[in-house]
Amino acid sequence: MPTRKGGPRQPRERVARPDTATPPPRRASTQAAADVAQAKPAQRNQLFPAGASLYPLDTETQSPEDWYGRDPGEDLDELAKARCALVRVFVSWRVIEPQVGQYAEEAIERLAGIIEAARSRKIQTVVCFFADDRHSELTDVTWGKRRDPRNDSYLVQREAALIQKVVGRLRKEAGVFAWQLGNEAFIAGFTSSDELETWVATMREAIREVDPTRPIGLGADAETLFRSNGVDARNALESCEFAVSHVTAAYRAYAAEGPLTSGPSTYLDSFLLRHAHRGRPVLLDDVGTLALDMSAGEEASYLRSVLWGGFINRAGGALVRRLRDMDTERREPYFIDPFETLVGLMDAEGVAKPAYTELNKFVRTVARIDLKAHTLLAERTAVLVPSERYEPLPNLAGLYDPRSCLHAFIATKNAHVPVAVIGEDDGFEEFQVLVVPSVFALADKTWERLGTFVQSGGTLLLSYGGGDAHPASRDLFGVEFLGDGGPREELSCRVAQPDVLGALESFDARFEVPNFALLSGGTATIVATDAQGSPLLTVNQVGQGRAVYIAVPLERAIAQGDPWATPAPIRHLIREVYGAVARAAGCGAPVECSAAEVEVALFQGEADDVVVLLNHSDAKEEAVLTLERRVASISDVRGGTPVAVGSNTFTVGLEPNGASALRLTYA
Amino acid sequence: MSPRSRQVLLAEGLARQGHVAPAVEACYEALRLDESDPLVHVLLSDLFLAGDFYDEAIEAASTAIELDPDCAPAFLSLGLAYDRRGGMWDQSILVWHELAEVAPDLVTAHVQLGEAFAAAAFEEEAIEAWRAALGLNAHEARAMYNLAVAALKKEGMATALPGFRRAGELDPSQDDFFFALAGVYDDGAAAPDPIDVAPDRDSRLGAAFALAFEEDYFSAVDLIRLILDENASDAEALALAGYLYLKQDSVNEAMAVALRALAISTKTPTAVYVLGAAFAKRPGLNRNAARVFGALAKAVPNQAMPHVLLAESLLGLQRFGQAKQAYLRAVELDPTFVRARFGLAAVFLTEGEYARAHHEIRRAAYHDTRRQGLFWRLYDDYAQGRE
Amino acid sequence: MTDDRPARLYQAFVSQDPAQAIAVIEKARSAGIAQGQLFDQLFAPAMSLLGGAWADGAIDEYTFTQAAVVAEQITSFVTPPTTAQDTGVTVLLGTMHRDHHAIDKDITAAALKEAGHRVIDLGVDVRPAEFLERADETGARIVIVYAQLIGTAHSVSRVREMFHAGGRDDLVLFVAGGPFSADISLAKQVGANGVVRGAESALKLVAKITAGRGGGT
Repeated sequence: MPTRKGGPRQPRERVARPDTATPPPRRASTQAAADVAQAKPAQRNQLFPAGASLYPLDTETQSPEDWYGRDPGEDLDELAKARCALVRVFVSWRVIEPQVGQYAEEAIERLAGIIEAARSRKIQTVVCFFADDRHSELTDVTWGKRRDPRNDSYLVQREAALIQKVVGRLRKEAGVFAWQLGNEAFIAGFTSSDELETWVATMREAIREVDPTRPIGLGADAETLFRSNGVDARNALESCEFAVSHVTAAYRAYAAEGPLTSGPSTYLDSFLLRHAHRGRPVLLDDVGTLALDMSAGEEASYLRSVLWGGFINRAGGALVRRLRDMDTERREPYFIDPFETLVGLMDAEGVAKPAYTELNKFVRTVARIDLKAHTLLAERTAVLVPSERYEPLPNLAGLYDPRSCLHAFIATKNAHVPVAVIGEDDGFEEFQVLVVPSVFALADKTWERLGTFVQSGGTLLLSYGGGDAHPASRDLFGVEFLGDGGPREELSCRVAQPDVLGALESFDARFEVPNFALLSGGTATIVATDAQGSPLLTVNQVGQGRAVYIAVPLERAIAQGDPWATPAPIRHLIREVYGAVARAAGCGAPVECSAAEVEVALFQGEADDVVVLLNHSDAKEEAVLTLERRVASISDVRGGTPVAVGSNTFTVGLEPNGASALRLTYA
Repeated sequence: MSPRSRQVLLAEGLARQGHVAPAVEACYEALRLDESDPLVHVLLSDLFLAGDFYDEAIEAASTAIELDPDCAPAFLSLGLAYDRRGGMWDQSILVWHELAEVAPDLVTAHVQLGEAFAAAAFEEEAIEAWRAALGLNAHEARAMYNLAVAALKKEGMATALPGFRRAGELDPSQDDFFFALAGVYDDGAAAPDPIDVAPDRDSRLGAAFALAFEEDYFSAVDLIRLILDENASDAEALALAGYLYLKQDSVNEAMAVALRALAISTKTPTAVYVLGAAFAKRPGLNRNAARVFGALAKAVPNQAMPHVLLAESLLGLQRFGQAKQAYLRAVELDPTFVRARFGLAAVFLTEGEYARAHHEIRRAAYHDTRRQGLFWRLYDDYAQGRE
Repeated sequence: MTDDRPARLYQAFVSQDPAQAIAVIEKARSAGIAQGQLFDQLFAPAMSLLGGAWADGAIDEYTFTQAAVVAEQITSFVTPPTTAQDTGVTVLLGTMHRDHHAIDKDITAAALKEAGHRVIDLGVDVRPAEFLERADETGARIVIVYAQLIGTAHSVSRVREMFHAGGRDDLVLFVAGGPFSADISLAKQVGANGVVRGAESALKLVAKITAGRGGGT
């Protein structure tokens, strides 16, 4: 799996903020940019392959034995036409090993033929073993006698043998890009982490005996899988060369139930993508809507948001859910897909939907962004997902925390601050700001590490999550915790110290909060209070760093309320605080943007920079961008005449859920 | 069946007080003692539902039903969890059917059943279910809103709008808004006896508002008369008189006194409201109503209701885009506002945005069922029946 | 010169004389007050006088109520028309062959009717030939074709082809539905003159066409 230059976990140098008064002469003239533009346009981005899954069956009426029965040439042509560089195919154990130990060579050749056909169209293939799409019954060997292929030792042995047989045949095929073990539907059947790890180790070993080099990935997103069956796949994923990230229907219902083209929904894929980064490339997979009840327009808008969101949040590539819609029994108004494999880029007859055009447009646009020459600005702010998230019930942290973290992520994005998502046990050294949203409890060791982090110059932003305060928090935040004031139906804010944490405004808003930490003064500066003077926001200078405390579980309250209708003053408060904290720590928004819902990513190059804008709103936006340096000209990355700017500020109009990639040159 | 154990009672007590985390913990403790008690599972399902953890709620409610197929509160939790989660309409229809059998007088079951049918495009069955709900309770606003949406789908906005307005009138929030404009809130104290009211204007007006709040319209009118006898140009008293006429469906009288009040003082928000509400009752006066409610929305921009009233008038004028903005503002001010949610759903339907429309209807149901507290009624009946 | 018409209307109310009230209104109308203005210029001031009379005790509760009844009787004379006047514009609409989505179409049809247009709704699953036949039959010049599925959206081109073959290139073809809203080029591809994005959009587009052509069918 190719990775992006300067991937998420590579050691980074601290980026010095350029002096606004005397901009460094780093950038070359507009001539250099013009040279770049004049080079032969790239058709695909080699460092960001995109494509789709090719499912074995087209209609519900086909039988599992019809596995890839239709010539895939037509579909591959469509993918090639869209400049796709990647396709995923699914191995049918049932078809390839119809009798124990007897392999259908013809079926293996059929698979090899698909891979070759893809390669001839410049498309690389991810070969997926042991997926479950509930139509083709890929893992349902008739001789398996209903034993579980995940833990039955005999079947596991047969699976390893199948892998060796297939990989042995295909390893010399140049078109094979990577091997994938299972998909989430299959992996969700594991009942423990140990069982999963053992299975993955066995299958990996089987592959490695035959193919020692090609990347191997596990087809589950650790977060969505844990949510679905409580199995922690993180260790199993550690052993693989790449990870995948995707939103399942169940996870969406849990984390962001609501319209797909606005609000939290549009951030969920990139949140999970960031969450899945654990030092290895992440393939954003199963991109697309989950059910056929979305209009063609919503499908396209959503796909656009997710693809661009993936691109600017360090995905290693993207695979759309499927190419063609599954032809299902027509039921009005639409068929709700319980198996998540129905919706494609083209309809069942093979007519391209607007989503297909979106993919095409996306691939062609990102092809013009050279990721060797342009590097995404490093993230120095991280949202910390606490380890309590993995605690089983009756601990409620596992239910509340991911939602709180998602909303912290969104708030950071709304403040246009580059942000990563890390676990409590991950290293803090890469970051300048840590956001710990609405947490119930952190480990004692973590408090020690946070203390060290702040002492040595980091900024900690923590919001109260209810319950007792940890003893370490007193010194860190410089306040005395007097207890939990309990739930409130209204949140009031009175600004005591203007401009300490951004442009805060006093307000009274109808907004339920589950807890309110009652604090008394200490060494901390009280920045804002409630209507009665009880501290709401405090800042404490500790060593070389700062510790900022929010006395309510703000992120959790947003998540548990109606995240599509959070009162404007609350949205303003959280955005201002997050933005101001990052700004003061020297890692604020690299590009200021007037529209909160427009996500901004800056790819820095030598001769020029590329700024990508993604509108998360389903309304048109006029984004006023302000940079520290004077921009000489802007142009669409796809080409066109550069428009002279001659100022630090310019405006970009964005369509609903629109994306724009602009090349900037500096004066 | 056995009476509730101490552990169950503890969990129940905590749950009733809204202490979610300790209640969940107490439930798990109770399950350690007896994992086959449906009461505990059903309590858990309600607690999970309260936190919007639908999959967990579904699992707990399903367990309760497996343990006792007559456990009505579990059906309620299960149905609500299916509906709020979305995308599970088949299961939802089955559950609400079951609940309507287990608890036939439960209006919500019929309303929800209708919404599940509608989401699965069984429009006729849906209408039947909502009518059944109205048969049980003629004041069931949500059934009326749903019928208005159904009318919109078939016959357009002109037919649907009176339905939305009728439903809105069943919804007490419109009256609450009038009193909020007047600065009158329920302080728990009873309204005074008119005989005991001091003979000054402010005491009389205050008492008249309090009596109107308690729906003692005749006593309120008597006090207003006394005020007007001393000063016929008291705009606030006239506005309250207008409201009282409105409540008695005397629209022209209400209009007359509201117009008089506004001739005296254009800045009497209560009179503006009465005039707008009177206009809204007359087909053909949507333009006038929009003008009046637009002024009211500007006068009290942070109240959700005038934005909704404005939006409804705009719907009548087929200015759907502007209506959408007004509804969105109302939802932003009050996400729990069922009337705004349904109105917004209607606008989305006019724009061909079905998924968005159904989302709004689902959110309306979400907020409506959350505030009803039905669970405890069914829970108590079930627990007592068991004992 | 002060306008005494509201006072005369008020007087008719309190005298419980609906005939007189109607006479006042008709006189005002013949004096040039438009129907849409009667409510604001005549009825509302008269009602304000009525409210004032009740407030200061000039009339008693009974008279007030009876006056309100008279006001009710003549309301239809002063109310702006509930449905716009016939614009004379005929709009033909229907959902494409093999497509059964009706809601969007039904709502728009009702909105167009409300705006005074003559609406001919062909229903769902309409064959391309039928659009042409009915356009010829009714003299409609505006046709709106609905399609929510990609396949049916593409096949709207057959409607345009049919119009062309029938020598009816003068027909204005609008398309509506998710695929067209998502991809404007698809509308061009099928030969449409524009995309209807909901009821209000239909009203605006039809109004624009009508204005451009000076009304008529």
